[in-house]
Order: sequence, then structure tokens, then C-alpha cells
Amino acid sequence: MKNRSMASSLAFVIAAFALLSPALAQNGNIAPNASSSASEIMMKVYNRPQPTDMSALLTMTLIDSKGRERVRSIKQMSASFGTMEKKIMQFQDPADVRGTSFMNWSYAEAGKGDDQWIYLPALKRVKRISSDGRGDSFMGSDFSYDDLAERHPNEDTHKIIGSEAIAGEECWIIESSPIDKNYSYSRVVSWVSKNKQLGYRRDYYDKGGKLLKTLTIHKAEDIGGFLMITHTEMHNVQKNHRTTMTFSTMEVNKRMHESVFSERSMMKAL
Amino acid sequence: MHRFFTTLTKKPLLAVLTVLGITALAAISVATSFKMETNLDEYMPKTHPAFVYSEEANQRFLIKDAILIAVEHPESVYNPGTLGKLIAIEEALHEIEGLSSSRIQSIHTGDNIVGTEDGLDIRRFYTDAPLSQEEAEEIGATVGGNTMVAGRMISKDSRTALVTVELPESGFSNDLYNEIMRTAENFAGPEKIHVAGRPIVEGTLARLGPKDMARTAPLVILVITIVLLLVLKQISRTIITLFVVLASTVWAFGLMTALGIPLYSVSIMIPVMLIANGVAYAIHFYNQVDFFTKENPGSNRSEIAANAIFFIGKPALFAALTTVAGFLSLVTSQVYPVKYFGLFTAFGVGISWLLTMVLVPSGIVLLGNGKALAKRNGKNRKTTQPFGARFADAVSSHKGIVYGLAGLIMALSLWGLSRVWINTSFLENFEKSSAIVQTDAFVNKNFGGTSSVNIILDSDEYDTFKQPEVLALMDEMQGSIMGLEKVGDSLSLTTYLKRMHFAMNAEDPAFDKIPESSDMMAQYLLLYEMSGDPDNLWKVVDSDFKGANMVVQLKSDDSLTIESVIARAKEFSDEFAEKGIAINFAGSGYKSLVFSNLILTGQISSLGLSVLIVFALVSFMMQSLILGGIATIPVLITIMINFGLMGALNIPLTISTALISSIAVGIGVDYAIHFITHYRERLKDKGDEPEAARFSMSHTGRAVLQNAVIVISGFMVMVFSVFPPNRQIGLLVSLNMLSAFMATISVMFLVLRKSSSILKDRK
Repeated sequence: MKNRSMASSLAFVIAAFALLSPALAQNGNIAPNASSSASEIMMKVYNRPQPTDMSALLTMTLIDSKGRERVRSIKQMSASFGTMEKKIMQFQDPADVRGTSFMNWSYAEAGKGDDQWIYLPALKRVKRISSDGRGDSFMGSDFSYDDLAERHPNEDTHKIIGSEAIAGEECWIIESSPIDKNYSYSRVVSWVSKNKQLGYRRDYYDKGGKLLKTLTIHKAEDIGGFLMITHTEMHNVQKNHRTTMTFSTMEVNKRMHESVFSERSMMKAL
Repeated sequence: MHRFFTTLTKKPLLAVLTVLGITALAAISVATSFKMETNLDEYMPKTHPAFVYSEEANQRFLIKDAILIAVEHPESVYNPGTLGKLIAIEEALHEIEGLSSSRIQSIHTGDNIVGTEDGLDIRRFYTDAPLSQEEAEEIGATVGGNTMVAGRMISKDSRTALVTVELPESGFSNDLYNEIMRTAENFAGPEKIHVAGRPIVEGTLARLGPKDMARTAPLVILVITIVLLLVLKQISRTIITLFVVLASTVWAFGLMTALGIPLYSVSIMIPVMLIANGVAYAIHFYNQVDFFTKENPGSNRSEIAANAIFFIGKPALFAALTTVAGFLSLVTSQVYPVKYFGLFTAFGVGISWLLTMVLVPSGIVLLGNGKALAKRNGKNRKTTQPFGARFADAVSSHKGIVYGLAGLIMALSLWGLSRVWINTSFLENFEKSSAIVQTDAFVNKNFGGTSSVNIILDSDEYDTFKQPEVLALMDEMQGSIMGLEKVGDSLSLTTYLKRMHFAMNAEDPAFDKIPESSDMMAQYLLLYEMSGDPDNLWKVVDSDFKGANMVVQLKSDDSLTIESVIARAKEFSDEFAEKGIAINFAGSGYKSLVFSNLILTGQISSLGLSVLIVFALVSFMMQSLILGGIATIPVLITIMINFGLMGALNIPLTISTALISSIAVGIGVDYAIHFITHYRERLKDKGDEPEAARFSMSHTGRAVLQNAVIVISGFMVMVFSVFPPNRQIGLLVSLNMLSAFMATISVMFLVLRKSSSILKDRK
């Protein structure tokens, strides 16, 4: 099973969105030709280039079934350094958690777990967290760690079950079924753009075969030559909960220095 | 009225066929659209504030009834087989239709959150079944070191693991019950699998009650048939009497199903009432027939029938009307099953009377009056008659003893009455030695408890439940409640916060307390939300922190235990009120407590109302307040003895046992009206008071005795039932019949005689 550690999930937020938004810079407008199989489409989506570093302000809004909203804003930075990826996320809002920071270092080496730290301003101390990070929900949102994890296309079997236009974009509808039946979902259906190879929507079905959640991409922007998703929503249809994520002031490839990702920077405002 | 029924005897076949036709229609209605309501929530008045609140709290805090599956290994669950089995059970349960998205928790799904010198360690105890014994024992050591889990998911002696299954919104169906039981059984060996929890007890009860009733009912009817044969000495009379009773039940249920009203478990009391009441009408009728034919041998069938209709019609109608009014008073109940019980029992009683008036005379006209009678009369004339008369004299000459004994019994009943207790426990309905009670005891011994009550705290201010002083008060209350007997465990926001504080400070016992600042609370909660399962949090606090839910686990489901928790929590209500926080309660245990209290207060007030109705109706019908008062004597004495004996025998008040007291009204008033009518008529006729007393005692007394003997012998069969609630029904019905009979022929008889001097003086 993939390491889905708590803080590294932030990386997955970016990874997952990247998954749905292959960069245009290199692949350009490669429309899948007639022979493109579902697996090939998914593989192309998977093998996309990513910026080496990124910073943004994430506004996460949790909306429960009664329409009550909880808004959190989180400053986040991430960068890769060789085989290592480092991220920091720091809460800006609400006030009582302002300054709370999480830092995660993940390694490409097989079997090497993530290093994670947390800083709680009220405790005035940085604490190490060791975790197998199995928590089902990412930061209490409707996104699970599985939803955010970069899932290799070989873990599923894929087939094209149709095509449909979503928000003016012609999309292939691709159904992916896990080979390992222990996966959180019985199947996932993705709407992948025929032209941009940008995913617009994804339906997740629970183990009982019922629709559980729907992911919708509301907005994707070209930032520094990368097509980045900046507004997305996950709707848990069974609980009627929603989580929206909006990225603002996003910057990429700013040659972030490694010293940014330190215990010291966790303790001060980013 | 006499004319109508007398006219009917001219066309007996038509009357009989009409009755049979309607009965067949009713039977078809029951057979085709019979619907049993097993969801207890459907019984509750949806608009009652306590239920509305509780329902809302269930939604807010995801409160759901849970089934507990305890996996007991002879030595220790820490072996590869048992730990693997927990995963397999979880998977098998998720496969069950209706449980696919249910929360199922066990040591396998739990997180181990441990504070270390430099930080926090969060991981699962295990994800896949351990491959070796060493690995399994390592897991055991980890569990043992975590106080959040040891004793909650694994018993302290390490022999039992608990799997908790939350039930879906749709509730608990019979199919789901069977599926879960079957799934659990599949995993037995070498482990023993115990399935417990309120839904299981409720489900078993809903199944066992009617099942046992279906087994004992034929026996009850058989015994009643035999005794009817012995008493009435004629097959035709027996068949007609039995038919009246059974048909009235079929008509009542037929009407119920035709109107689309489902049968509730309480509905089982409808036939009980109809059997107890319905037999009486025919008995009185045949009693009059026997009396008339004895006095006027050689009368033809029509004359016999007409005479009985004339003499029995009026008192029987009075008795039926009063009984109907008595049962109708239950319509004021807020609880639908009780409302319907009152309504359809009243309807059935009316039908019993109607069918008696139609079928008994028609039977006589069609089938004759039997041959055995002449012989019997010749033989019995000397014995039966004088016995009644002698008994009347004996009662009259030992007034002191009668009143004294009655007074003593009333005093004892008062004492018993003070000991009557209401019980909402489902478990109390089973034998102590039954598997379900044993399982419950086993789970209670090893874990926090199979029952629970939710204490809900509400504030209007955002983030109230991040305030240290609020949480400190909650913690104090929780500690105080934990000190109560039979309280096994509790869980609230403070449990999590204390644990986080403790863990984030390297498990230093000095930090096993509520954190000092609200920012720290918020940050701990954020950390928990990010690392643990946030749904755990939303079970104890609202996402805007305006409300909190404290779950208290109990080792008993009886009312006293739930009430003790409620009382203790209420001791803190003033202190919470100062902080703008209100205390309320929720959960199925609390709901059934409120529900039972509602039924019982309704039943008690309805009984009071029935006694008033009896008094008013009889006073009106007999044109005398004194006679109206006398008619209430058997009713009141029967009610007193009923509740007195319940207290003395430790039979708790439940929905069923409370409703049985309605018999007192139906039977008591029936006996009284017949007795008073015959006594007054005879007195008016002959003017000889002692003769009228002897006559009424031997004439009506005989009918009343026969009726009591028949019903008592029938219901005593239920005393041998394997299902304790049905045993109580059998015992209490028999007891009520006996009390009503005894009260009529003793105290009421004496007061009636006494009254005639006053009534005569007035004339």
C-alpha cells in the first residue's frame, strides 16, 4: 500500500490535481487517436511533468448537510530536491489555530517512510509525528487520502465506457476497477478531456457499488506554463457533505531554497 | 332493542349466515393485508418534544444503535487466527445488504495514538493478520499499553475482542438480524462468538413474544373449550360461545387491517381482553336460559330465546356500553399502539355483545336447548341453588370478616402499590438463564456496557466547547457519573482532549487533564482531525462547537440505571446554566424511558377516567348515583389488588402489564351490572330483600363464577409459557378475574344489600 502519511497528503493534493491536468508545455494538444486505449490515456495522464516547487494559499471550505460552513485557509509550500520532496503547510485561519504548521519530507526510496513534524503555537514546541497515516479523511474534509494519492494506472483495469461533453469539453468516460479488491472503492469513473487530457470529473463508488463521492474540477489555470487546477470540489453524496478547495496566489518554479523546510520556519509566519 | 333481536330469531339462519359472511370477510382482510410493525420508533409519538429533540440529537451526533459482537478465545485473542478473524468478520459484515457503509469498529480499525519523548506516534495496531505468534503477541503488548483501547475493544483479560457494528438509518429488520446472527455463527470455533446489544435484545423480544403467543394461544383456547364444555355441558353452546369470542377478535383485527393500521406488539393484548370479556356475555345468556327453562319447563325454543333476550339484553348492553366507554378512554393516549388498542378492543367488545345477542338466541332456535338440561336440572336443583343462597347468607352474617378481610387486602395492596416500579428494560423479559441474558452479562462483565444514554449539552455561542472552564465542568460531571453503579464507561470531547494533552506531553501523568487554553484545545482538535478519524470527533461535538454529546455506557438497560445517570447529570444543570448551557438527553434507551412513562401515565389516567365513566354511565342507566357508586366497587378493588400484587410479586409495570389493568374495568363492571340488575329486578318483583339477595347470589353469582373459572383456567395455561412477559399476562389476567369475582360476591354484595334500605326509604 502506498504511504499516505498525514502531512505528505498535501503533496498528493497537488499530485492528484496534476494527475487530472497533464501539462500542456510538452505534450501539447495530443488528441488520443483511435487506437488509444483507456489504459494509455490514463498512463499519459499519469506521466506528466510537474513544477519543481509551488506555493499557494489554499482555502478549504467544509460544508455539512445542514449547510454550515467551516472555512480554513492554509499557506502551503512544496518543492522537490532530488529524490526528496518537502512540504510545509501553515494555518492562517481560523484564529485559534493560526500558526499551526505541518511539515513533511518524503523519499523516493522504497520502504523509507515520511518524516513529519507538527508545530502547535499553544504548545510552543515542534513535535515529531510518526504515523502510518491511514486516516480516512484528509484534514477532516471529504477528500480521503486515497483520493489524493497518486495512483499508478497499472493498479487498475480501465475501459472507455462512453464520451460526453462537460462544461463544453469533450471527454472520454473511463471506468477504472481496482485489481486489489481491498481498495477503498469498487470502481472509479473519470471524465478525461479528449483534447487537453484534463480530468473534469470523477465518480467514486463504494464497496457496495453505490455512488459515494463526486469530484468536480471547477477551474484550471495556466500558471508558469503548467495547467494547474485552482478550484475543485468533492461532494460526498451519501452524507451530503461538500469540501471545496481554492488555490490563490499560486506560484511555481520559484527555485525555493531547501532551508525553507525547517523546524525553525514552522515556528514563524511563512 | 329486544324487539330487534327477537325479530332476528325468526330468521335465525339468515342471521347466522350474515355473521359467518362478515367473519369470513374480516378473516380474509387479516390474511391478505396483515402487517406487523416491528420498528419500535414507529410506536413513538413523533411530535413529543423529548422525541423530537432526541431524534435531532441522533442526527447531529450520528448516534446510532449498535450491535456488539464479542469474540472470545479460550486463552488469548493475541494469536494470528483470532486477529485475522476480526478482519474477516468485519469484511463479512460489510458484505451484508444494508451494512455496506456502516461503521464497524474493532481493534483492527483502531488507531494507537502514543505520546513519545519527542512527539506523537499514530499508527494502527495492525492492518493485516499477523503471520506469527510473536507478531500477534507484539500487537497484544501495544494494545495493553493504550488505556484508550484496553478494556474498550479488548477485554482486560485479553480473552475477548469486541466488534461494534453501527446499524443503518433504515433501522433493524428481521432479515438483518438473521443475517448478522448467521454471519457471526460462521466464525465460531475455537472462539466463541457472542452477539449482544440493544437491537439484538429488541429484535429477539419482537420475535419471541408473538412466537410464544402463537404457541400458547391454541392451548389457551383448548383449555377454555374444555372448561366451557364442562360448565355449559353442551357442544353447541360451547361452539357458539367460542365463536363469539374468536369472531370478535377476527372482526377487530379485520377492521384494523382494512383501515391499514399495522399490528403492534401491544395488539396481542386485544384478543386477551376480548377472550376475558367476551365469554361473559354468552354465560349470562345461558344462565338466564337455564333459569327460565327450569321455572317454565315445556317452553318452546322461541319463548326461551325471547325471555333471555328480554332479561339479559339490558344488563348485557349496559355492561358492554360501559366496557366500551372504558376502553375508549384509552384513545386519549399519546401513543398510537395504545390508542388503537383502546379503540379496537372497544370495537371487539361491542361485537362480542352483538354476536352474543344474535347467535345465542339463533342457536337455541336452530339447534334447540339441549337434552342434557332436563337431567342436569333434576340433579342440580337441590345442590346448586341452595349453595348460592347459603353462601349469600354466610356472607351477610359474617360482614365483619368480609369487610375486615377486604380492608386487610386493600392495606396490603396499598403497601404493594408503593413498591410498583416501572421497567423499560428489554432484557428483564428474558429468563436469567437464557442465552441472551448470559451474553449480555458476559459483554457487560468484559466491556463498558451494552446500553447507553447520551447527555447532550447545548449553547448558543460558537466555540463554547473549546472553553477550558466549560470542558472542566464537563469533565467533573463525567467523573461524577463514572462513579455511579452500573456505569461502565463514558466518552466525550474531554476524553479526547485529555488524551491528546497527555500524549503531546510525553504521557506525563501531570498532563492527564483538560488543557488550559482554548487555542490549545483548537490546535489539538485540528491535529486529531488531521490524524485520526474526524467522525469520532463529530460524535462528541458539533462542528461549530455549540453542542456536545457525552456517551455514557451502562451495564444494565433497566430504568433505574438510566434514571440514575439522568439524575446525576441534572445535578450539574445549574452550573451549566450559568455558562448558558442546557442539558438534555438522547438515545434509544432514553427514548424508551420517556415512551414507557408516557404510556404508563396515560394508562393510569385512563384507568381513573374509566372508573369515572363507569360511575357516570351506571348512575345514568340505573337512575341512581348510589348504584353507580356500587358498580365501581369491584372495579376499584380489582385495580387495587392488580397493582398491589404487582408490587408484592415484583412484576414491573410495562406496556403489557399496565394494559391488563383495563380488564378490571371490563370484567368488574360486567359482574357488577348483572348482579345489581338481577338483585334490583327481583327485589322489585317480590319485595323480599333477603330472598332477592339469595336469588341474585345463586343466579348471577353462578354465571359470574362460571365466567371466572373459564377465563382463569384458560389463562393459567400461559403461566407455563417459556416467555416471562406472557407468563405475567396469564397470571395477571387470571388474578384480575378472580379479584373481580371475589369483590362482586363479597364487598359489593354487602354494600348492595345495605343500599337497598336507603333506596327503599327514598321511594
